[in-house]
Amino acid sequence: MLEPRIRELLTRARDDARKRGVSAEFNLHREKSSLIRLGNSSVALATHEELTRLDISVQDGRKVGSFSLTADVTADQLKNALGHAEENCRAALPKDYEPIFGTVEEPVDDSAGFDPELESLSPEAKTGLCAAVIKAVKPKGAYDFSGSWSTGSTEMYYITTANDNEAFRKLTDGRLVLVLKEQQKKWELSVERTQKAAGAFTAGDIIAEFESLLPVYEGAEGFRTAVGRQRVLFGAQAVAELLGLAVWGGFIGRLYEEKRSYTAGMKPGDKLFADAVTITDDPENRDVFGMPFDFSGKRRRRFTLVENGVLRGLLYDTMAAAKYGRKPTGHDLGNDDFVLAPGRGEPGLDAGCKLAGDALYIPHLHYIHLPDPTKGLFTGSSRFNALRLQGGRFTAPLFSTRVTDTSPSVFGNVVALSSKNVPVNTSSTYARRSPTAVSVPEWLLCDNVRITDVADSF
Amino acid sequence: MTATPEKIAGVVRPQLERLLAEGGSFGDARFYAEDANQRLMLYDGNLESNTRTDEQGIGVRVLWHGAWGFAATADLDAIPACFDRALANARAAAQLPGFPKDMGPARPSKGEYVAPVEKDPFDVPLADKLAFLKGLDEQLKGEGIAQRVVSARFQRRRIHYWNTEGTEVSRRVMNTFATMMVMAPDKDGRTQRRSVELNSDGAGTRGWEWLADENCFAGHAERIKQDLAAILAAEPLPPGRRDLIILPGQGFLQVHETIGHALELDRILGYELSFAGGSHVRPEMIGKLRYGSDKLNCRAGVTANSPGTFGYDDEGTPQRDYYLIKEGILVNVLSSRTDLGEANARAGREVVKESGTAARACAFYRTPIDRMTNINIDAGPDGTLDDIVRATEDGIIVDTPVSWSIGSNREHFHFGTEIAWEVKDGKRGRVFKNTTYQGHTLEFWNSLDKVGDESTWKLQSVPNCGKGEPNQIMELGHGIPVMRFKNVQTGEKE
Ligand SMILES: [Zn+2]
Repeated sequence: MLEPRIRELLTRARDDARKRGVSAEFNLHREKSSLIRLGNSSVALATHEELTRLDISVQDGRKVGSFSLTADVTADQLKNALGHAEENCRAALPKDYEPIFGTVEEPVDDSAGFDPELESLSPEAKTGLCAAVIKAVKPKGAYDFSGSWSTGSTEMYYITTANDNEAFRKLTDGRLVLVLKEQQKKWELSVERTQKAAGAFTAGDIIAEFESLLPVYEGAEGFRTAVGRQRVLFGAQAVAELLGLAVWGGFIGRLYEEKRSYTAGMKPGDKLFADAVTITDDPENRDVFGMPFDFSGKRRRRFTLVENGVLRGLLYDTMAAAKYGRKPTGHDLGNDDFVLAPGRGEPGLDAGCKLAGDALYIPHLHYIHLPDPTKGLFTGSSRFNALRLQGGRFTAPLFSTRVTDTSPSVFGNVVALSSKNVPVNTSSTYARRSPTAVSVPEWLLCDNVRITDVADSF
Repeated sequence: MTATPEKIAGVVRPQLERLLAEGGSFGDARFYAEDANQRLMLYDGNLESNTRTDEQGIGVRVLWHGAWGFAATADLDAIPACFDRALANARAAAQLPGFPKDMGPARPSKGEYVAPVEKDPFDVPLADKLAFLKGLDEQLKGEGIAQRVVSARFQRRRIHYWNTEGTEVSRRVMNTFATMMVMAPDKDGRTQRRSVELNSDGAGTRGWEWLADENCFAGHAERIKQDLAAILAAEPLPPGRRDLIILPGQGFLQVHETIGHALELDRILGYELSFAGGSHVRPEMIGKLRYGSDKLNCRAGVTANSPGTFGYDDEGTPQRDYYLIKEGILVNVLSSRTDLGEANARAGREVVKESGTAARACAFYRTPIDRMTNINIDAGPDGTLDDIVRATEDGIIVDTPVSWSIGSNREHFHFGTEIAWEVKDGKRGRVFKNTTYQGHTLEFWNSLDKVGDESTWKLQSVPNCGKGEPNQIMELGHGIPVMRFKNVQTGEKE
């Protein structure tokens, strides 16, 4: 449970607000974050931040106002923050629909994902592991390593004046990305790991992965593929990107209602993707970080978006639900727990390659954007670890290759998916620490993927 | 404690001295006495964002044996512990040494920067701000318009900076951002949109008065509705090679993505590889690389009214104005003090002489990295937009980004825009929808053959440039004239 001093401050503020007839939601976020940043095969920076953020939202009928504070929370600051939120609510313009007020459906006290060892993993320990990798992996020529390793803990606590329930969650997470860049040819290899606890990977694992990739980069020049439709074997990070695009472009309730999603005009039960495609939001999946409640207090459980290619459900946050008369689905969140179900393909990248035969292997898609969400049209380019496949074997590294296609087309043209799923960390640290991962098959083979541009560099 | 800057200074100064005594070679502290953001957004007339965020705290940076440590806290009673943590982090980082970081010659400065403001937006009552935005939302209503967005964001910061060289500077930063957008489905079911951002000619002040100036924002409501109606009636852009005339509303992003990011020294040196990416520029190319045609003059500018103007950067260096690209040749990059030595060593000669005053952090809890300031293109000799149109046989005029996707080393790009106008035989004609264009950075900038005069130059704000690990969102500006590029791949071939 949350630290007693802060918990008491917040529950008292909630009770006082309730006594005064004020409807208020309190959302506390605390993080301890540490990061080492590598560049030029050295640790150039180590950081540590301890931050507490409090969001208060006040609702009065159709009016809503909020206030957020990043500071050490004291009784005075809490009182001021609530006062500001109330002021903002008073001045607010009423909405033309009845907003849904947050209510913690059932108490949650979840610290199962917390590992004290990972929370306090020292920068020395991280530096030590990275140094072992850098010492062991020695490509020819001039090269350097860069990357980052972020670890930390997050506490989330949510209560409202609607009832006395409390929702609390504490977890740890980490993500390591190491990039090896050759200085002259400028190819870039990347190895990435995600973790929930300390000791989830070793320097040995990482060294082995780099060493498996190096020979083809060192043995062949870059390959400039042709523009046009091609067979592509996507690796896990790229599959995670494709999954995110598919969900964002097709399954956001508000965009669907506004006819701005590629599912507009469809209804549950309609065929959307290939039979092999099943997508869920599943907080109980073991690969993901598993958020047990959302920030309207809804208990989150397994939710099916696509089953065997058939549209099953759309994601409604409270705003879209209130506006369009739907039920909220537990998606007042930035960090969902999406799962693309494993397929029937033999596990292992080798098996995927063999099945693919002659194809492009694209394990990462960089800088994806959506020129037209209403058609699910996206564009992005290959980056790390992209290779040419001939007869099921890697023969050359690929120059930067642009994929411009639609989600319905890519997920409609799936040939096979690996039967083994892996976690892919999709966290960003732009604002508060918010551990997010998806679970995806380690490879996805797809025909007729549209390649629209190829650079003459990596 | 009650956090007056004087009290904080009283705690920070002896801590900075302690850093030096304990073997640190440099240290600094940034105290954010205030970091307030107000975000207001009307979506289809409903107030969907009505929030204010206040942050207060301190960030400490220590350089120890050539490596950086950073720590931040909002607990102002724990400042000495924060210095301890920063020093411990620097010591840990120094265990895996690379090219040792150093700050170069000490350049102590003292001073204060106050952003030009007539009326502080935080002093305008919320009800008045909402009434203003609601008025705009009413103007955006119209037949066939499916969604309307009106949003504004106000930012006020009071930042105090101290370092071990005796630099002490303070800043009062104020920024105002605003957007209006209308959307509607076309006959193919694709959502089309037209928008406008609060912009200026680079002069004036940055407070409420800017937002209230009809020319800079509100006066464009009718125009974007008319444009949207034309887009809805338009045919898709037929693919092909043609001349591309870019208005500042699109040109800012072209410059941002294919010049600005590519010229950040930390990217060039490989410190951003695992997230934002690298650069096609190498240190030895500075002073030599032909980046664009001789019509291209690009500078890190100090524009009076821009979110990229801040007086002193986050190393306390006074902001200065300098060329990045002069007559097409790359002559400088965006830098801070810490990487100059490494850039020169890698180049094998002195390619950067002094800090590009681009060390910027987005919050007290983030460390400064090399960021864009105002990356401006100088106005050119080719007259007005009409003059450039008259001189174009076969081309399109494009405005306002819809999508952008750029190679990780900024070597190639793909952009989608809200609108395009056909240009045939020197005349502006019909509107096209679904406009995209793509190219390769150096080839593209070398095809720049016309640059508009001062009458075409506009300052566009960027409120949301993302970079860094941990990630940072930064505010900056781009002053851009109308530009024409020859023979560009436009539209989508199936
Ligand atoms: Zn940017």
